[in-house]
Amino acid sequence: MPARKLYFEAIRVGDELPALAKAPVDRVQLSRYAGASGDYNPVHVDELYAKSVGMPSVYAPGMLVMGMLGQLISDWARGGQMRRYNVRFIKMVWPGDTVVCKGRVSDRHGSGGRYFVEIDLWAENQKGELVMKGSSQIQLFFSLEDENRQRSGQSPIVVEVPRESLSNATANAAAPTANAAVPSEEGDEANERREGVTSKKTVPREKPAAKTATLPSAKKAKK
Amino acid sequence: MLDKNAIGRASPPTLNEVEKGAIRRFAEAIGDYNPIYYDEEYARASGYPTIIAPPTFPASFHSAADLRELLGVGIKSLLHAEQGFDYERPIFAGDRIYVSTRVSDVFERPGMSGKMDIAVIEDEGRDEEGNLVFRARRTLVVRAAKETP
Repeated sequence: MPARKLYFEAIRVGDELPALAKAPVDRVQLSRYAGASGDYNPVHVDELYAKSVGMPSVYAPGMLVMGMLGQLISDWARGGQMRRYNVRFIKMVWPGDTVVCKGRVSDRHGSGGRYFVEIDLWAENQKGELVMKGSSQIQLFFSLEDENRQRSGQSPIVVEVPRESLSNATANAAAPTANAAVPSEEGDEANERREGVTSKKTVPREKPAAKTATLPSAKKAKK
Repeated sequence: MLDKNAIGRASPPTLNEVEKGAIRRFAEAIGDYNPIYYDEEYARASGYPTIIAPPTFPASFHSAADLRELLGVGIKSLLHAEQGFDYERPIFAGDRIYVSTRVSDVFERPGMSGKMDIAVIEDEGRDEEGNLVFRARRTLVVRAAKETP
């Protein structure tokens, strides 16, 4: 039987997703991912080639790490429908690295019988360095009753739920988990466009150490 | 600096047939053993018509796009900086999805050693009725080759 499903009514802003520690990345996995994805870029599978272009070894494609973080979401949001999933690649993942995927509910809202949760996501390596950060929007049934109604062709349960990041800002700031280091949204233009002011002011956020990563991708336009 | 005229250039739609074996191998490569990607019965009991594909599965889709052609430059190296997906619905085994690729933006961004060329490439997947299934956006740091192709 399928695992217990997740319903909107049970989720609170600030809820943490159970962390997912993946098995260490190895070269066999890189080959398998190359085969499965059809991306045979030699920097991910050919050690000699990777060294010839100045890399210490082959490294994991960003999309593999994004897939791991996707597993974190799908494992948690059973019964939910992923609507949006965005990431920024920050640091390379090498063979031997262990990726730990983490996430936290940043917002929830519902209107017209459709219910959504917003999640902040990030992945760290075994040294605790940020390798990727992102966000996702999941659509959920309000409750088991809502699911049963909709599956039998009835109208959904309608509860108007304004974005909680606005209404509960004070409560969230007092929550014990709220001050933990969360990857900053600052400068993430895509997020700013998408979420406007809603998710930015709720939780005091520290700058992640990996801001100083040497990849050009981690550098942001200084305004 | 990349040619701004590249914006809007697109490749024709390419058919991708979503096979169960391809979904299984993709999920295995990630190390994700959620039965929803493997087990037909489990997927149906979970409310889906059949097994579904992991969220990043569209990364395995083919498109007719040749980035050198779309961007109009020879490419020395590409760095994948950001990736995003919007989903209209899950992707199911048996789906026939037409994927087209277009250049949605090119611009410059200050980098460590001078300006970096950024290209945003958008893939769009539609079913046979023309309904949107997903959109995918890749943000790439492009280092053009010295000589033009």
